[in-house]
Amino acid sequence: MSEAIFTMGIDVGGSYIKGVILNYSGNSELVDKKVEKIRKLNPAVVATELIDYLLEKNNLTYEKDITYLASTGEGEMVQRKTGHFYSMTTHARGGKFLLENAKTVVDMGALYARAIKINDRGKVLDYQMTGQCASGSGQFIENISRYLGLAIEEVGEISLQANDPEIPSGICAVLAETDVINSVSRGIDTANIIKGIHLSIASRIVRLITKLKAESPIILVGGMAKNAGMVEAVKELAAEHKHNYEIVTHPDAIYTGAIGAAIWGGYRYNKLREKEVMQFRTQE
Amino acid sequence: MGALDTVINQCKEWAFDLNFTRAKKWKSEEEGRILAGYLPIYFPREIVHAADGLAVGIMGTGDRKQVIKGDAYFQSYICRMPRGIIELALDNNLDDFDGFIFPSICDVIRNLSGMFRILDKGTFVKYLDFPQNFQSHIGGSFYRKEMQHIIDLMCEINGITVTPERLNHSISLFNKNRQMLEHIYDIRQEYPWRLSIVDVYHIIRAGLVIPVEAHNDLLEVICREIEKDTGEPQDRVRVVVSGSFCEQPPIGLIKSIEMAGCYVIDDDFMLGSRWIQGDVDATSGDPLRALSEAYLSQSPFSSSVYDVDNPKEERLAALVRKRNADGVIFAAPSFCDPALLDGPNLQKGCEARNIRYISFQYAENTGQFKVIKEQVGAFSDSIKLWEDEPAEV
Repeated sequence: MSEAIFTMGIDVGGSYIKGVILNYSGNSELVDKKVEKIRKLNPAVVATELIDYLLEKNNLTYEKDITYLASTGEGEMVQRKTGHFYSMTTHARGGKFLLENAKTVVDMGALYARAIKINDRGKVLDYQMTGQCASGSGQFIENISRYLGLAIEEVGEISLQANDPEIPSGICAVLAETDVINSVSRGIDTANIIKGIHLSIASRIVRLITKLKAESPIILVGGMAKNAGMVEAVKELAAEHKHNYEIVTHPDAIYTGAIGAAIWGGYRYNKLREKEVMQFRTQE
Repeated sequence: MGALDTVINQCKEWAFDLNFTRAKKWKSEEEGRILAGYLPIYFPREIVHAADGLAVGIMGTGDRKQVIKGDAYFQSYICRMPRGIIELALDNNLDDFDGFIFPSICDVIRNLSGMFRILDKGTFVKYLDFPQNFQSHIGGSFYRKEMQHIIDLMCEINGITVTPERLNHSISLFNKNRQMLEHIYDIRQEYPWRLSIVDVYHIIRAGLVIPVEAHNDLLEVICREIEKDTGEPQDRVRVVVSGSFCEQPPIGLIKSIEMAGCYVIDDDFMLGSRWIQGDVDATSGDPLRALSEAYLSQSPFSSSVYDVDNPKEERLAALVRKRNADGVIFAAPSFCDPALLDGPNLQKGCEARNIRYISFQYAENTGQFKVIKEQVGAFSDSIKLWEDEPAEV
């Protein structure tokens, strides 16, 4: 068995910071993972604490054991690192790690959603992305769940109980929030309101997939992929558009960017060792 | 706070002081001192220094001032820099200046010199025409007359005769300045993590608004400090930035390039400060000729120089090789005719030599860098991960 090559990936997103430790030797293996909500804290502090937690828990040290610590997302918040990768690159590679034969990765994050077409090496071939509009984002669902007095973890299951979804205008988060308030005052069932929101966001995601001419199978990743109601809404709408896609998600979908960063970190570690252009910390 | 941080913080303060406080203070300290403002790209500051003057670089307002009146002076399809400079003039930020020099770079700058004349700013307004003929007896002779004209204009103000000794002394001070700037770039070529490009930018820009003696003192500290083994290397690609020689990119944009995974190891920001490559002869009996010869034979490639026998794309490729860069980022201001006209040729030259590049445009007051950061991030990853298309990763 080959000696372990530990790498770390830290994905600083709009709402959460995700971190993983990966053993890059042989077939990459996820060693440990942790996600932390930023709330109103300093993301740099949250990232540092998350890294320290993972290292300590696994009895590793940054200086001696981690060959490459890669950041992605808002990488400047990660103070100790070896390198940084663009979040589309990391989500593409992470998506392929979670679903070996994935052809399309759909990242549904807090601030935007994007569909990425990849090749068999996890390279980005093409992409489509939502614009700067809050109504296509995970943050929007968080806001709505807060108005409805629900925890974000609850909304997925509640959405699955809907029988007559109330779809908001869907044009703008501000208008949609007004719609939600109206729906509540009209006595519409919470499950139907939530499902309507999910369908509204899902319609944007299906538009991205259509425009991209996505190939199957598609893996849904990012924070919103944890939300069963959201995943179901995307599947429903894709079927309505007569797309014959295989759409899946993964329990570790929220870690996709961090996993991709850790894998690329391992790849760069080997590459740089070949080139001997950097002095790495790990002693042979 | 260490010596390096102290110097950098001081430079940050001076670099974007649109009231030119430090320069005005210098002028007020002694009778007869002259402040001469000059615009990008290059101006031989030595001749002002020798006449007991301070040549102050006016690089625009960046994102530090809201331009209202300036917009009335220019059409919508003109770059942004002159709008800010007119605004400064109309807001009296330039009132203590004795004169203004507008080096020939493009029609916009030429027209701006006319506006300064109409606005009656300063005792003199000089449009400095650079030679486009690179033979000493033609272009050189013309350029010497242009420089002498500026010296005469200053002499009319303070009566100081610029002797060869005075001018040689000034040349030696600016030689030292350029040597230290080059030394900083040379150290950064090997150890770019020791000093960020944003810090380098502030350090050079501060040098445009303070006396060269004071700037040399700061540069000595910086050179000493960055020779120490500090900081930790990161796995980033090494890039040359080209096209930003006149209207300056906002600091946020420069920072975004590094945050997206690059080390900027050479650039043409503040190109005028590094214009003359190597020393100017500081021992001759005809220093104006020495300055002229240096311009003719030691200038870098630039969109403002029509040097047909010395193709710019080859010189850019040579710079990439010299700095061991992985690629080029073409960052040009919107509506900058010189930069945007040269862009396609330079990019074609990169393609022919298999040098990777990207290009984008900006304005000095651009406030959103997300798209640029994503573009640069993708560029950086394409070099790091797909350079030789790995079979398995």
